[in-house]
Amino acid sequence: MLERPDAGELIEAARETVLNSLLAALPREKHYEARMVANALAIAGRSLNAAVPAHDIARLASTLRHNSPAPGSAAYAETRAALDEIARARCAVSAPKAL
Amino acid sequence: MDDATLSEAAGAPVRVLSRALLSGGAIQQNWLLEVERGGAREDWVLRTDNAATLAVSLTRPQEFALLRAAYSAGVPVPEPLFEGKHDGKPFLVMRRVRGTANAIALGKQVGPGGDAALVRECGKALRRIHAIAPPRHDLPFLGEPPADPALAFVAAMEQRLDDAGTPRPVLEWGLAAMRRHAAPPLPPVLLHRDFRNGNLMVEEGRVTGVLDWEFCGWGDPHEDLGWFCAPCWRFAHQHLEAGGLGPREAFLEGYGTGVDVARLPYWELAATIRWAVIAADQGARFLSGVERSLELALTGHIVPALEMDILKQVEGLDAGTA
Repeated sequence: MLERPDAGELIEAARETVLNSLLAALPREKHYEARMVANALAIAGRSLNAAVPAHDIARLASTLRHNSPAPGSAAYAETRAALDEIARARCAVSAPKAL
Repeated sequence: MDDATLSEAAGAPVRVLSRALLSGGAIQQNWLLEVERGGAREDWVLRTDNAATLAVSLTRPQEFALLRAAYSAGVPVPEPLFEGKHDGKPFLVMRRVRGTANAIALGKQVGPGGDAALVRECGKALRRIHAIAPPRHDLPFLGEPPADPALAFVAAMEQRLDDAGTPRPVLEWGLAAMRRHAAPPLPPVLLHRDFRNGNLMVEEGRVTGVLDWEFCGWGDPHEDLGWFCAPCWRFAHQHLEAGGLGPREAFLEGYGTGVDVARLPYWELAATIRWAVIAADQGARFLSGVERSLELALTGHIVPALEMDILKQVEGLDAGTA
């Protein structure tokens, strides 16, 4: 068994340190970079528990390039649902505010 | 850069009194120079390339030619002064314009109510850019205008996705919708291709300079209109459809005649797709190790939010055709 705090807990603690302690001590022109560090840590933290939907991404991309389903067809609705699932899973890690 | 290099390029004795690196893009370096030319004090901006340059951006001499064309057409741009070379790297010098181009700061300044007069001016400025039409012998590097700008856009994005090598089904979904809904081509005009909040220098509610000309090309004017209005460039004010700065009606009113509003949702989708492709490329640039920049790394993570926009935009375009 690995020692705790684990990766997620350490990332969260590091992020809190950046935002709650370091940021105020930095000159204004470094705030943007500090916020980027906090953002990167948040994304890394969320990616630890990310659920990746089971879709063949390469095949789906290739089908849409060469033989995209027509609006109104069953294949269209099915594809739309799959894409929605993929985009939501990706957003949950990268930009949950957009959900 | 020394006084001798600048004097030679300027064709007059130049003495640099002060220099400061301005905050700026991932692609170029911009220096603010306070100089004395022929005994008179002037404020200049010198622009040169950064280490890693995107293959799709124009060279400094080409950007200089575009600035000259825009300046003559009455577009609010920094006056282009001269160009030169230093250590084998081309540079250009333009007169400094006052104001701020910071998108977030400008959004705060206009507030949630927006600034109708400002977006009207933005429309006017864009119209002046679009008054430049081919053929133009001073802009040969822009190539021949595409026969069908919409389909050429789709092909160019597909090529970039193929070059990057990462399958992106949501972007393909958007491109397929663009193929389905392509309207007949219009006579081509000069497109700025990055005309948005963030590239507009504004002082006291007036546009003092349209910046960043390196993505120019010939195409459908609605491409620029859609880019300006696309959700991804509205930042904090999603309800202000003209760049997060004001109402869409005021922007189009400033632009004037010739807008086919039915084409706007199409080119707003195009804008989201193109920004997603650029953002993905920037993330890939970080991954390639060419440039270890946290900003580039995080830009890659913008793509999923843009994919959510694309799904909504395609739904809007397809509604009624099903």
